[in-house]
Order: sequence, then C-alpha cells, then structure tokens
Amino acid sequence: MADEVASKGYVNPDLLVSTEWVAQHLNDPSIRIVESDEDVLLYEIGHIPGAVKVDWHTDLQDPLVRDFIGPKEFTALMNQLGIGDDTTVVFYGDKNNWWAAYAYWFFRYMGNDNVKVMDGGRKKWEAEGRPLTREASVYPPANYTPKPMNSELRVLRDGVLAHIGYHGVKKVEDGGALVDVRSPGEYSGELLHMPDYPQEGALRGGHIPGAKNIPWARAVAEDGTFKTAAELRDLYQGAGITEDQDIVVYCRIGERSSHSWFVLHELLGYPNVRNYDGSWTEWGNVIGVPIER
Amino acid sequence: MDRQEQIENLLDHYEHPRFREANEGADVIMPGGNPGCGDVITIYLSIADDEASVSEVGFEGEGCTISQAAASILMEMAHDEHWTLGEIDEIDYTTMIDILGKEAVQMRPKCATLALGTLKAAVKKYRRDKMRRDAGLDTIEEEDDESAKSLGIVTGAAALQETKE
Repeated sequence: MADEVASKGYVNPDLLVSTEWVAQHLNDPSIRIVESDEDVLLYEIGHIPGAVKVDWHTDLQDPLVRDFIGPKEFTALMNQLGIGDDTTVVFYGDKNNWWAAYAYWFFRYMGNDNVKVMDGGRKKWEAEGRPLTREASVYPPANYTPKPMNSELRVLRDGVLAHIGYHGVKKVEDGGALVDVRSPGEYSGELLHMPDYPQEGALRGGHIPGAKNIPWARAVAEDGTFKTAAELRDLYQGAGITEDQDIVVYCRIGERSSHSWFVLHELLGYPNVRNYDGSWTEWGNVIGVPIER
Repeated sequence: MDRQEQIENLLDHYEHPRFREANEGADVIMPGGNPGCGDVITIYLSIADDEASVSEVGFEGEGCTISQAAASILMEMAHDEHWTLGEIDEIDYTTMIDILGKEAVQMRPKCATLALGTLKAAVKKYRRDKMRRDAGLDTIEEEDDESAKSLGIVTGAAALQETKE
C-alpha cells in the first residue's frame, strides 16, 4: 500500500514510518523497535511484539548529576538493547510520541543517527487494533561503536542567554529565534506547568524573552500523527519561524520541545534547530535570568 | 516482593481493579487530580456508625498505570483491614510507596500517592461536614484540601476543573 508518510511531503520522509510499515517489519532483525513512554508501566501492560523499553528517566538520565548519561553508558545501553551499528531504531510511545521524540532526539544527540519515529505512536497502533504482547523482548548483546556526538542539537542555559542576545543579565544585541512550545497558560506565566499537571518545578512563571508561543500540539492531527509538511510550514512560517533562522525550542522538561524539534529539524529540514532540554524547570528557577510575561 | 513481583501486582490491580465503583450515596465524594500523568480519581467514602472507621469505599478514575493501581490497592486495604480514620491520618506517603513497591514506583511518587492524598482529603471533609452539621450549618461541597496541595495533589472541585483544561 502507498505509505501514509510518503504522501505528506516531508523533507526527510525516511525519518518517520507508519504503523503499517512497522507491522511489516516486526520480524526484521535489522530493526529494533523501542517504546518510550511517560506512563512508566505501559510497556509492561503490552507492547508491540519485539519492542524493547527505554525509560527516559532511569535509562537516559545520570542518577547523580542533572544531565544525561555519557557516551560510555550510552554504548552500554545500546549493547544491552541489542542495538548495533547496523540496527535501525524505531521509536514509539504514549502521549503523542513525546518521549519517543525525546529519546529519538537524545539518540541523535549521542551520535546514533540510524533512528526513526513511528507516526501516531502507541495511540494509533492501538486504535488500529494491532497486536500487543506482554512478552519481554530480549536480544543478544550488540557491539555498538560510539559515534561522534551531534552537539549542535542541544543548547544549555548559557547558550540560550547568548542566543537571545544577553551577556549575563544585560541585553547587548538582538536575539535569535526562540520557540516556546508549552501551552499558552504556561507561556503567559499563569501556569507553572502544563494543564493537568502539578504545579511543580519552577519558582517563576513566564517565558524566555523573545520567545514565540507555538504549542507542540498544533503540529499533530487528531489521530496523533504529524500534520502534513504544508500544514507544518504554514504553522511555523505564519508565526515567523523560518528555515534560515538559528532556532532554539524549549518547554518545561524537554520532552514536548523534542517533539517540536523533530518537526522543525527532521520533518521540515530546518538546518539549525537546538533543543534547550533544561527548559522551564531550569530557567524558571535560575537566579537572575531575564523573564518576560 | 522483588521489582518484578511489584510490577506484576500493580498490573494486576490496574487490569482488575478492586472497588472500582461509584457510590453516589457515599458520605463523602472526593475528587483528586494531577500528579505526573494528568491523573484523576474520585474516591467514594462511607463511614461506619461508630463515626470513626471505614465502612465502604470505591473509586473511579483515569490516568497512568501506577495512579490507578495504587487507588485499587489502597481501597482494598482500607476496606479489608477496616481502617479507622485515625489510621488513614497516620499512614504517610513513604509508607504508601513502600506498600506499592519502592523499586517499581519511586520514580513516580506523585502518581503513587494521589489516591492516598485524596483519601486523606476525603476524611478531612467528612470531619468538617460533621462539625458543620453538628453546629447546624450547611456542608460545603466545593472545597479543596490545602495539605494535599503541597504534594502537588489537587482535591475537591478544583481537581475536576484542572484536569479538564
């Protein structure tokens, strides 16, 4: 059948696969399907046959320093999941693929570029009545070779300050493009978290100066799949975010902004897009950084 | 229980929840919302004639696996062990996490403790309602429990509002 993804006009259509594509590759040894969810036990309830689990918190975060695991731990994770140099990883998950996009972005950041996302995520797979299993998937350890990191995909706090034209707390020049993908209430400072979520994590509300508010959800259709390239271009260009810009995206803890990063950098092919994963939980707590409301 | 047994127990309660039923005639109907995954539950609590212990419990809810499994486990314990209101006051959030299985839920403490926070709020409302009735005053339906709020749990009418945004 004609692939649902191919018809949507993305610049890099091979980075997104349909549920049907995944269904046809369940027994392909060169494919490793990875589920990454917010609901920490969803994988155990049932997952795509053959899929392994990556928990964004316990697998990808350093337990001591607030940062990601390093190259050594990442290599060990790849080996443990049976992901070798020739393995193509396909991510999917709950919540419109937030954490799948987060894991995808992190894998890319760590230099593993052989990755894709399943359009529509777990929601679409379930809606189509496709099979789920509780059988744990175990693969022989792989022999992954560490790759050079794609450091240009991530930006830290000081980099954001420089990006918005600040030296310390003083604005010294015009800033670059900045996209706040949180809900309008979070952007305005009315909420310190997304609707439905606890008021946790930040002592100040508002947004980083100069940020435009383009909530992540505007990039997805009702069934959880990404909108077409034409719709996505209209969305971002209509808000003044264009491919010639140096762009930073952020949210509260980096997962929703990974989703928008995936749209801009991967689907639309904007060349310079960085994810500020420290996001509002860092910015809203740092002493002395500028905030707008 | 080791971690795998803890997970199996949580999945069993999630897929086969105990006391998952609404009881519109309950003494207290307390919604609780939020933690972690946008979870929401409503607890239906009826108090025995001694006015000091649980007679019937029930819950309804939506949300992540841990939040819903925790509600089922908590309801089962409160019912089967005939908890007193004093015992509900005393059980703390660390104990709740230990009951569920620390290794399985420690990364999601707010999901794990939503049901307990809501049950505690229900007990407080029962007492407030009783005091107001004893004083000849009307009860107040739309009130939140400030102590639960400090844990990121919103109870009362506000829980339903927040989770519908």
